[in-house]
Amino acid sequence: MLSFISFWRAAAIVLCDLASTAYYIGGIVEQAVGPSAPWFILGVMLFSYAIRYVYMESCSMFVRGGVYKVVKEAMGGKLAKLSASALMFDYILTGPISTVSAGQYLAGLLNTIFPYLRIDWHLDPHAFAVVFAIAATTYFWRENVKGIHESSDKALKIMQLTAVMGVIMIVWCGYTLWARGFTWPPLTLRFSTEGLGWAANVSWLKPVGAIGILMAFGHSLLAMSGEESLAQVYREIEAPKIRNLARAGIVIFIFSLLLTSLVSFFAVMIIPDSVRISQYGNNLLAGLAMSVVGPNWIRLLLQVFVVGVGVLILSGAANTSIVGANGVLNRLAEDGILVDWFRGLHKKFGTTHRLINMVVGLQILTILACRGDVYLLGEAYAFGVVWSFVFNTMAVMRLRFIKREAREFMVPGNIRINGVEWPLGLGAIFVLLFATASMNLLTKKVATVSGAAFTLVFFLIFVFSERWNEKVHSGLKALHAKFNLRQAHDLKIVSDEIEKPNRTLVAVRDPGNLHHLKRVLETFDEGTTDLVVFTSRIRTGLGLVDEVVNMDNEEQKLFTRVLDLAEKAGKTITPMLVVSNEPFYAITQAAQAVKATEVVFGVSAKISTDAQLERLAMTWGSLQTDKKPVRFRILGPGVEHAVDL
Amino acid sequence: MAWFQKKPPEPSAELVKNSPPPKAVKGLKISSLLSEATILFPQEGQDKSSVLQALVASVCAKSGTFDWAPLLKKVEEREQGISTTLDTGLSLPHARVDGLAAIQAGMAVLRKPISDPKQPDLSIRIMFLFFSPNKQEAFALHLQLLRGVASLFQPAFIDQLTATSGPAAALELVRKLEA
Repeated sequence: MLSFISFWRAAAIVLCDLASTAYYIGGIVEQAVGPSAPWFILGVMLFSYAIRYVYMESCSMFVRGGVYKVVKEAMGGKLAKLSASALMFDYILTGPISTVSAGQYLAGLLNTIFPYLRIDWHLDPHAFAVVFAIAATTYFWRENVKGIHESSDKALKIMQLTAVMGVIMIVWCGYTLWARGFTWPPLTLRFSTEGLGWAANVSWLKPVGAIGILMAFGHSLLAMSGEESLAQVYREIEAPKIRNLARAGIVIFIFSLLLTSLVSFFAVMIIPDSVRISQYGNNLLAGLAMSVVGPNWIRLLLQVFVVGVGVLILSGAANTSIVGANGVLNRLAEDGILVDWFRGLHKKFGTTHRLINMVVGLQILTILACRGDVYLLGEAYAFGVVWSFVFNTMAVMRLRFIKREAREFMVPGNIRINGVEWPLGLGAIFVLLFATASMNLLTKKVATVSGAAFTLVFFLIFVFSERWNEKVHSGLKALHAKFNLRQAHDLKIVSDEIEKPNRTLVAVRDPGNLHHLKRVLETFDEGTTDLVVFTSRIRTGLGLVDEVVNMDNEEQKLFTRVLDLAEKAGKTITPMLVVSNEPFYAITQAAQAVKATEVVFGVSAKISTDAQLERLAMTWGSLQTDKKPVRFRILGPGVEHAVDL
Repeated sequence: MAWFQKKPPEPSAELVKNSPPPKAVKGLKISSLLSEATILFPQEGQDKSSVLQALVASVCAKSGTFDWAPLLKKVEEREQGISTTLDTGLSLPHARVDGLAAIQAGMAVLRKPISDPKQPDLSIRIMFLFFSPNKQEAFALHLQLLRGVASLFQPAFIDQLTATSGPAAALELVRKLEA
């Protein structure tokens, strides 16, 4: 059973990441390029519309896409691993920059409120941000290990609240400008030393004209960090998929254009220059709330609201980063790029906890290393996003020439000359991305050094892990052959192959809990009954639709044990592996596909047998096509339940 | 229909295999469990919790036997466990109640779907609530009812139900389908 989400929910998931940048982008970019920052943020937000086109075309070719899949198809495994490594860098940074920024906002709010409460405290915003960030990251680590996946409903609610906050801020700031009068932010660039990076030492690379614009544009590019989540949510979007992806893209574009660009403009136009960066560099929206017209207590309330929404959306972004990084690493692990040890499932929760631990461990190290400095994180950020955009666009462009079949969507701006379609639109996007990414290598020193080092380390891990896996896989192929393992798409074939009048389906999951299989093996009559031993791999949240079904480490252990028991009993079995997001649907569908007369389970450690049977009865009823009753049995040491449904 | 529960010593699977064939529970009509008084058409804007509360109250009022508050608590406790909402749009809250002689049921028809806080991606269009006797021998019937209701309320039928004018028409439609 797969359930899909509307374009509104898909947009909300992407916006939880993308729109959260509104909280820190203005301060970071202004510290690098000066008060002209809002113009470049606006430019980046407009450019994000073109990036949306690239993702639409790549998604139209690969449902389970993402940069790794697209680059691999177009340019091979090495570049695919490199682009995925770069993207991992940004996933690792998204969590810290979001939680540290949330901590800065909270610290700023508390420091504002304390005097009103006659509390003579002053929090060190950086230290407080580090403590808050670690606490929030630890909370989301626990949630992800438990498998409480990112809920589109929560994302939608957060975005509704953010929209309310956005409208209030836009109206209030608009009124403030009308009441006080205003001047537009200057167009002149005023780079800081950090903002110029190594370019300060290159005599011919002056930060003026087109070069200066490109430098400033590069510093602002992190405003569209999160756009890459479009590829992740595409799998989840309901039909018609491409049309709904386009709709989600428009919602994302309008929302982020209004929120991120406008608040950046308002910040420069309303917050006095003397305090904008010095006091509110790390919590610009709080400064904006305190600088609009109105009585002090109302402005304070506005700040409380802005900070409250900020903590929610920034926390949502931190969670998205863990989910996203885990999703990318899972995808790589399924392709044999990571050693199977990483895919080991948590004994209680069934999640890929080792991958989650690694991601969260790296995020906590980053939080400690940055010491609560959002600007430092901002300087390091966007390395991965821009290079993954570059690789993705390059791959989509190359695929135009090597895969000429019709696509459901193509980036506009194509000219046909002598029967060959030249992707001028894609080319223009690529040139701008590549030029920006190259310029960032010079101007964003922290990003270049840390991003390149991180990407290289991850790339090497992927390369060596893949080689290690290739050795193991030779053994695995033999194991597959031995098992003649059946997968979801083989269900009908399996049904045709088994011909005995009775078919028993035994559901297995834990190699340590096969009591029920032993019992069935001891008693079933091989002359009249076919025995199908079935397990389902449960996938929830992003990354639902699975195309690659190779046995992972846990499944190998499980089927090795199953085979041992079958050999011991001297009975023939048909093993089967199905990927689903709901175990009861998987069992029901498998039972119907093989026309099972009996389905056998073990006793669950997590759910009571009554609850197991209740859920099974409901699922069975909703999907039952054959009215012939099937016997369901739950067997455990000293326990036997049977019911015909 | 058969229901076996064996405690230690460990039972022989053969015993189950050779036990009498399961008897179908004949004559169980879902429509016979409903009445116009227990079919609700909640107004828009209500959430799952408020619909559930109204449904429990109406079923208890119809039976005239039970105080609805403890029963609501029991259903809500069950709802905290494994989900009772299906992707067909049917929600099946239920509870097994001590001292109950027969199954009591009610149904809410939601013209505007509501979401299930436990499964936000699923919409509830029909909520079918029932209480069954908390006796081991009644558990098979309990399970059969769960299966039967889930089987009956398929999306096309739910579309028809939500388009009916009120409780009488909805009940007539259920009767017609079961006939």
